Amino acid sequence: MLKVEQLSHTFRNGPELTKVLHHIDFQVDKGDMIALLGSSGSGKSTLLNLMAGLMKPTEGTIYIAGHDIVKMNENQLAEFRRSNIGFIFQAYELIPNLTVRENIELPLVFQGISPSKRKEKAKQLLEQVGIPDKGELFTSQLSGGQQQRVSIARSLITEPSVIFADEPTGNLDTRTEEEIIAILKHLNKTMSTTFIIVTHEREVADHTKRVITLRDGHLVEDQAPVTVEGGTA
Amino acid sequence: MRARDYMSLAIDQLRRRKVVTGLCSAGISIGCAAIIVAMSLGQSAQIYAEKELNSFLKMDEITVTPIQNKGDEVNKDVDNRGKLTKQKLNLVRNLPHVKAASPFEEVGYFSMHTTDDRSNNVQVIGTDLEQLANFNHQFRQGGPSDVADTIILNYGAEYGLLDRATLEPLIQKQNQDPFNEEITQQLENIQKLHTPLFQRQVRFERADTADQHKPTTSTMRITSVIKKPADASTDSAKYDKKAYTSLETAALIREQLKLNQGPDAPPASEVGTYKSILVKVDDQNNVEQVEKQIKKLMLNTQTNLKQKERLEDTFKMVRTIALGVGLFVLVIASISIVVAMTMSTHQRRRQIGIMKVLGANLRQIRNMFIIEAALLGLLGGLIGVMISYWLVWGINGAAARATEAGQGFIFIPLINIPLGIFFAVLTGVLSGIYPALSASRTDALTAIKRD
Repeated sequence: MLKVEQLSHTFRNGPELTKVLHHIDFQVDKGDMIALLGSSGSGKSTLLNLMAGLMKPTEGTIYIAGHDIVKMNENQLAEFRRSNIGFIFQAYELIPNLTVRENIELPLVFQGISPSKRKEKAKQLLEQVGIPDKGELFTSQLSGGQQQRVSIARSLITEPSVIFADEPTGNLDTRTEEEIIAILKHLNKTMSTTFIIVTHEREVADHTKRVITLRDGHLVEDQAPVTVEGGTA
Repeated sequence: MRARDYMSLAIDQLRRRKVVTGLCSAGISIGCAAIIVAMSLGQSAQIYAEKELNSFLKMDEITVTPIQNKGDEVNKDVDNRGKLTKQKLNLVRNLPHVKAASPFEEVGYFSMHTTDDRSNNVQVIGTDLEQLANFNHQFRQGGPSDVADTIILNYGAEYGLLDRATLEPLIQKQNQDPFNEEITQQLENIQKLHTPLFQRQVRFERADTADQHKPTTSTMRITSVIKKPADASTDSAKYDKKAYTSLETAALIREQLKLNQGPDAPPASEVGTYKSILVKVDDQNNVEQVEKQIKKLMLNTQTNLKQKERLEDTFKMVRTIALGVGLFVLVIASISIVVAMTMSTHQRRRQIGIMKVLGANLRQIRNMFIIEAALLGLLGGLIGVMISYWLVWGINGAAARATEAGQGFIFIPLINIPLGIFFAVLTGVLSGIYPALSASRTDALTAIKRD
């Protein structure tokens, strides 16, 4: 489903070149839920941005659902993201002047889907993320946890092949964090959607089926997390 | 993306950013109003001038005269064929688009005296009195009479009659001091004096002879007075003084005033021929066509179409200047849109970034901003139309108070409204292009990056 081959990336800062990713290789199967774990500066966010087509790598290839996204131009990438990729952000990134329902519908607006179909789908997703009665509210009227649920619903509306979640619980308290993780796990199970979660918290990564650990731009570990009982998650 | 979605996103933005929307719309509405008012002023002035010109020069009339040569033997045949005969008059009357045709022969300018010896100067014209109504002359009192020695006066002929004892000293004073405003004003006031002449008797006197005993006509009765022409202003109508008589009475006046005598006397018309006829055409646009047909009858024609063409050329220039002024104001106004939209692009970078991450392509982002700018233009255009109506209403009100006519002449031709709105929307779209391109080029990752 997702294949990263020999991926390297170098940032130019004036005359200085900083290599932030070194020959990363890994593959993710359909329906997987993996965590990209690493401390600040490990290159995990850069890797996510590259996989999402928001940046071009210096070297290597990225295949999503059989498409080499590195070769795509800006418009092709936008159209590819529109139907194949979902995003969940740490700071939710909802549009404040749109209602909750309109925010969820937004990716379908860019696809040119009719308002009635959009509305019906948004309603279903609101129920799935547990906020069926919040559709007509504005995002400012919701708590952080509720806003993240809206963000999750928005990422799912196009039924993408893969969802990238960048520190999805970073802005939430422990109880809400657990609720959001539970929702993600449930959706992964019921909808067979691939989730790639970027986190610096071992506790969050331990909820996934596989953890890829990055350190200083190198892939240092790729294994199933070890549970408290000594088994795998 | 559907058109409806573009619209609702754009409307939502305009509604949320009320101050920016208000300022941009105000700027563009002033430009739009400037275009509409400037063009309307040009067109109204042209129509007003044409109307005034038409009331003087009668654009829908053709003066027809015979073709005359020197009268030598060589050209005698041409003279005979070029005569303006009764048969030719009947042929002209039956031409397509001809409303009326009648002899109008100028007898001359004479002093018209009432029985109480008040006088003014009038132009005497011999014609078929029954045909006067067909030349847009409506009778205020009475009507044409078959009786000999009767005349019909126009509206202006009843004004400015004064007894000689009062008038002559005034004219003498004016000759001595031509720039004396007081005397000029007195003479102008005399022109406004009205003397009802219906059913009264008058006689005409030649003023162009030094004889002590100036030739004078027998007394003639006024059987009708014509109304003021609808398309003429009161002032201009008062200065236009005419007396219409039958062709027979015209011949009698010529005889009594000894116009047929002397070396410079014009030759009398042959029986069954005319010196001049006037043709009324149903529409100004058909004058040229009718004129061509008349020329085929070996007759001379004369129209005032050239004056109209000259007037149109002048006003074409006025309209172009007016449009230029309006466009200049609109260009200035468009700067406000460029500034506001560019600011808006910067303020909404994060939102644009989110949209791009969610799959909006360059075209969609660009279109969103252009439609928003077009809506601003449309809003400004609609407000501009209202402003232009208020302005025209104000100008007409001021003109009505300032002039004797009591009404303004500016109107907004309907075509100017869509034209004004079109320019406003065009300004919006053109002003929105740079901000739209700038928005579409926003780097999504940089836009959503948080410090």
